[in-house]
Amino acid sequence: MSFKIDRQSIGELNLMGKFRQGSVYYLFNKVSTRIGEKLMDEMFSHPLNDAAAINRRVAIFEFFGKSNIVFPFEADQVSLMREYIDTTARRSQWVVTADLYLQKLLAGLTKDGRFKNTLLQLQATIVTLKKCFGMLELLKRENGPLQDRVDALLTIMYQKDIRRILDSDIYKPMSTRRVSEYDFLLRNRHNDAMKDILQFIAETDVYISVSKVSRERNFCYATAVEKEENLFHARNLRHPCIAKAVGNDIAMKTGSNVLFLTGANMAGKSTWMKSIGIGMYMAHIGFPVAASEMVFSVREGIFSSINVADNIAMGYSHFYAEVVRVKDAAIAAATGEHLLLMFDELFKGTNVKDAFDGTLAVTEGFSAYNNCLFIVSTHIIEVGEALKKLPNVQFRFMPTVLEGNVPRYTYTLHEGITEDRQGMMIIENEGIIALINKM
Amino acid sequence: MYLQTDTQTMDDLRLFSKADTQGIYDIYNHSFTRGGQNMMEAMFRKPLNNREAIIRRINIITAFVQMKARFPFDGAVLDQAEKYISFDDHPDGGTRVSLSEKEVQHGIMSVIALFHTLRWYLESAEIATVKELEEERLAAIGVLNDPAFIPVFNEKPDARISFAAITAFDVLIRNKEKRKVLQLLHFIYHIDVYVSVAQVTLQHNLVFPVVHPKGTNILKVDGVYHPLLKNAVANSLHMGPSRNLIFLTGANMAGKSTFLRSFSTAVYIAHMGFPVAATSMEFSVMDGVYTTINLPDNLGIGASHFYAEVLRVKKIGQELSEGKSLFVLFDELFRGTNVKDALEGTLAVCNAFTNRKDSKFIISSHIIEAAEELRKKGSAAFYFLPTVMNGTVPAYTYTLQEGVTDDKHGMIIINNEGILEILRQGNKGGTRLNKQL
Repeated sequence: MSFKIDRQSIGELNLMGKFRQGSVYYLFNKVSTRIGEKLMDEMFSHPLNDAAAINRRVAIFEFFGKSNIVFPFEADQVSLMREYIDTTARRSQWVVTADLYLQKLLAGLTKDGRFKNTLLQLQATIVTLKKCFGMLELLKRENGPLQDRVDALLTIMYQKDIRRILDSDIYKPMSTRRVSEYDFLLRNRHNDAMKDILQFIAETDVYISVSKVSRERNFCYATAVEKEENLFHARNLRHPCIAKAVGNDIAMKTGSNVLFLTGANMAGKSTWMKSIGIGMYMAHIGFPVAASEMVFSVREGIFSSINVADNIAMGYSHFYAEVVRVKDAAIAAATGEHLLLMFDELFKGTNVKDAFDGTLAVTEGFSAYNNCLFIVSTHIIEVGEALKKLPNVQFRFMPTVLEGNVPRYTYTLHEGITEDRQGMMIIENEGIIALINKM
Repeated sequence: MYLQTDTQTMDDLRLFSKADTQGIYDIYNHSFTRGGQNMMEAMFRKPLNNREAIIRRINIITAFVQMKARFPFDGAVLDQAEKYISFDDHPDGGTRVSLSEKEVQHGIMSVIALFHTLRWYLESAEIATVKELEEERLAAIGVLNDPAFIPVFNEKPDARISFAAITAFDVLIRNKEKRKVLQLLHFIYHIDVYVSVAQVTLQHNLVFPVVHPKGTNILKVDGVYHPLLKNAVANSLHMGPSRNLIFLTGANMAGKSTFLRSFSTAVYIAHMGFPVAATSMEFSVMDGVYTTINLPDNLGIGASHFYAEVLRVKKIGQELSEGKSLFVLFDELFRGTNVKDALEGTLAVCNAFTNRKDSKFIISSHIIEAAEELRKKGSAAFYFLPTVMNGTVPAYTYTLQEGVTDDKHGMIIINNEGILEILRQGNKGGTRLNKQL
């Protein structure tokens, strides 16, 4: 079973986007090599839904975070090695030797660059293997959570013919026979082992770069527990992409699994919701989260509705688009899966009376699902009063502090329902009415 | 000069296609050449704000409609000629590449073919009847009759040309007289745009608007519908100085946004001098068109939805304070805030808008309480899109009526989708705490 999240939720949380500044991916993407980036892509798009697997990956990240190991490989040499290893034809030693002699002959006669290229790739491979050997021995001494993997790879390295490659000096002349011998070893006999080593290099790239980001930004690693416990607890959770973001605490569990959020405009409701969603997603891929402490039950999916646009081509009005979104969420929840559901400003595309009835009915409906975590924000504070009869709803709000006539936002969560209404004040502060009336 | 507008408006009106949705541009754009397409796109991006220019374009397209014009050139030949002529042998920096013999030969042959067709077309009776194009037509004939081009006309359109002659023609067309050839191509692209719009006019039964001078404050649209919708319902709406603000109400899905899109699309397209999807239209030229139908909030710059709306109103306020006459549209003004703020904000902004008699405003809202207050202002008019209930199933007429409605069918829609039913019957996993639900 894979983790469920749809494109809309991914977009709302701004998770992906290699080239989009401000996306979570962009924040973490500090890998040096192409293969590292590919692995990172894969981790990002495949969240885990097994607590043990998450904790295993977290332990590795934590180990690299503490050990201060620097990534020893050079990106272009690694990609040369990958080209070399990947372009295998599984040919016999004889064919390889014959082909290399032909390449060498052609290089002498014409401007054929293949022989030189082969040499370059081979040298890069030898250098990278040497560095990898050093890295493995270092890791073995550190005795980290990767021990089994390290041992397996060291066994490969200690093999006699690989040792010989490792001991060769690339600055010494190398006969074509030697080149063809190594070629055969690397690209044929030990090809699978070499691919495994490349995979290991990609892994270390991701581990080192991500744990470095985590260290620089004071992120922490979340602890996963089984989904049945339905627990979510975090201290000082914040939005990872906002500099100077204000952190807040959250504690949800069975019996208090619904969070009802209110607050004035611009008080930070949506940002808080996005922080929760991003934190949860990061935790599920085993990455560090922007918090000082976090424990969570593994979810089977995240469902958010933070910015729903209407679609005239499909004949949807804004309100109907929201209704469809809620329906999708209801169908997902009805399967009995353990989900995180988040609705920001539910039914904002409709009139107040409808929004009141709708928000109340839907929140009541979802709150019956004790296996889900449910977060809803609204500006219709009257709904809160009506929800107080439910035992498992907790109320929080984002306050506004008035300084003279200017509202200031603390972005700090308080318990209860807000009574702030600053919309008109913002309009006045912007001096809009005077502008319109000015001739 | 051009009509003032912005990307928000263009996105709202869906002028250009996006991912899976068709744009208004796609309806009008049936041009045969790439150059024509680019020119059409430029027209869509820059509507006019000058009455003479708009009328001129309308008259030209009307003339083409009347003669049921067809595009006289072969699109493939034109594209080939364009590719050839715009090839630069000496790009600034970068490696030098040159055209192959074959490309040069084909290019020259297509240019020659084009010249022959063009001369025949320019001297035909049809194009001569378009008064507005007389000047351009004579200019183009003048270029064709330039002594430099005599050898071009000495060749037969499809004749093979010798190697030596090709070199000579290449120098002539792509070097010496390049500017003139480009000028002719430009003229052909114009014809392309006009002919394709004329064909669309006939095909979709579009009408040409009547243009009034700036400041006369007329905006009358009858039978306007959304050109992208099949079986669209037509509506009429008249605005003027004594009714410069329309307050629109109606239930969800009653068709408010679609009506607003069709109406403002007509206003926008009319300023391009193109025919509109309506039965008749009269308008005074304005300085700008600004719509706000789908406003995204932007966390990147730290703005919430409500603040985005406020900034948008402020931007329009700034334009108004410079004395410009605008067409302004807000769908669901201040929906990103609570009820009380939305009421106060809508009232304050609408009241201020009604004072600007030279501009036109359409505000759609769910806050019917605001309508009561606004009635005190003489220049606000009220319309709604009605809902008819057949039992529990709402039906919509999509026809505009005067007045205010407090229709709301949100709960009915939620119930009809069966959301609460799904939640009630779903697998709740853990133990139920709330037996009463």
